Amino acid sequence: MHRHGETTTTLHQSPFLKAGIIALCVAAGPAAKAELQGLTETELSEIDGAGIGLVLEDFKFAHGTDVQNGRVFKIGGIKSSQGEDVEIVVNKLYISGSGSNYGQTLGSVNLGRLVNPFTIDVVDGNDIGVQDKAVLSIAAPTKVAATEGYNCMGGGGAGSGVCSSRPSTATFVGERPDIGLQMNVTVGSNQSSNLNIHAQSAVIDGSYLRLWGDNDRRQLVGQFKLNFYTPELSINACEQDGTNCGSRIRMSDFALELALGNEFQPMFLDVDGSGNFVAEIQAIQKPAPGTIGADGLRSSSDPATWDFYNDYYTNPEYRSNLTIGNFSVGNRDFGSARVEGMLIQHLKIQTKDLAP
Amino acid sequence: MTGRTLKYARSIPLALGLALAPQFGSAELAKLDDGALSDVSGQGGIYLSGDVSINELGGPIRNGYFGGCEEVGKKCGARVAYRLKEDGGWFVLDDIRGSFAFEGLTLKVREINDGFAGDGQLFNREVVELGLPNVVRYNDVQFKLAGSSTARPTDPGFQQTDIFSIEMQGDVTLEGNLLVFPTGNP
Repeated sequence: MHRHGETTTTLHQSPFLKAGIIALCVAAGPAAKAELQGLTETELSEIDGAGIGLVLEDFKFAHGTDVQNGRVFKIGGIKSSQGEDVEIVVNKLYISGSGSNYGQTLGSVNLGRLVNPFTIDVVDGNDIGVQDKAVLSIAAPTKVAATEGYNCMGGGGAGSGVCSSRPSTATFVGERPDIGLQMNVTVGSNQSSNLNIHAQSAVIDGSYLRLWGDNDRRQLVGQFKLNFYTPELSINACEQDGTNCGSRIRMSDFALELALGNEFQPMFLDVDGSGNFVAEIQAIQKPAPGTIGADGLRSSSDPATWDFYNDYYTNPEYRSNLTIGNFSVGNRDFGSARVEGMLIQHLKIQTKDLAP
Repeated sequence: MTGRTLKYARSIPLALGLALAPQFGSAELAKLDDGALSDVSGQGGIYLSGDVSINELGGPIRNGYFGGCEEVGKKCGARVAYRLKEDGGWFVLDDIRGSFAFEGLTLKVREINDGFAGDGQLFNREVVELGLPNVVRYNDVQFKLAGSSTARPTDPGFQQTDIFSIEMQGDVTLEGNLLVFPTGNP
């Protein structure tokens, strides 16, 4: 220990540096011959550190435009197909406790639960079907068993559904925020229109974004799942100053489950040579000739190939759904709508510059 | 406080003590027992006020030689470029400018063992609590999201397509506490 003491006399101002040097001295003695060795991808993918959990307690966010009081919130730089400038003035963007009456009375809300928080983590790809990769995962609270979860649309206590986030009660602010966006959209020199979107008691449980790298294409790839449930999503248009509004379009029990990319068809993200953003989902590969029998049954096919395609076609995780309990405009009901089981076979989205 | 956080809170004074020890040659290091350790406490938390300005006016000088932000060919805002593919284009956060000020951002360690409609009792651990400042004052904060063919605007063959831009000014309400903790089973 005397040796270490000598070292420290010059370093006493920096306890961190000192601790590092002590660690080095201690390590250097007995392990002088050891060499650092690279870990293989397989070994690396076995590493699973603890992630970070995030919970927002009594949270409230609001910003908007109120020129008289010096508040401005604008989204610009967008052009219409005629090449005119589109300017979006955000009158109000809010995240509030539920019961905000379309953003009139903002309250606080919790986002995420201590026992099921928002997480940022690097996960072992083998656990989620991405072979031998470390995957960066940013995730909302996960869904839970129906015996202990809550109805995603609200109503009912524990055991009424699969969502983990709880609705508000008389004594608890809950974990489901009201979210709203009120904006004026101006296209070129046209008179702007005022558009308002509100979601009540919204839940995004089970949503995630996963990112990793693809060796063959040397590119960032991802998988995006967005679950969005709200008992009421409403849209209405008003006069420019926000008064005198038209009929409210209400979508009650609105559920969106969007799956972009899966472990077999991840989403490739890129910017092309002219500076346009490209998102692409590759088509799934066809089975090798002869591996699937003519009658399509497992008994006449290569079992592993058949199982693979059977899972691909039947796994609900790969499919996107949109359901609306009731669609109404003003006091007219148009009934319910459902788009279920959309499986994206191939997708390529590219932004295009319309500026002359 | 549990033993785990005490360990962290005390590591700095302990290390300082070690560092000073050689100057008092005859002094010996003596172990602190748990009782003595429990009397040592770190700072209760941190209270921060801030005023951050990023390329708001393009620096202190504006004249014919150095130019100004409004001139074509001059760049004032910060730029962050990220390449998504080998030999591909760049995803860019461009022209990041403005200033923002806040009063009363707090940082502390908090033990949670009740509240949260029953979750607190189940959780029964410590978290890092970041107390949001209630109001953040933005002054001409702006940035652009864009795709670009090269990392820098001065590189040959530069071509950029702006996707959209954001401009914010005035008071932004930001209330609540951000609680940060490790997940999994430490």
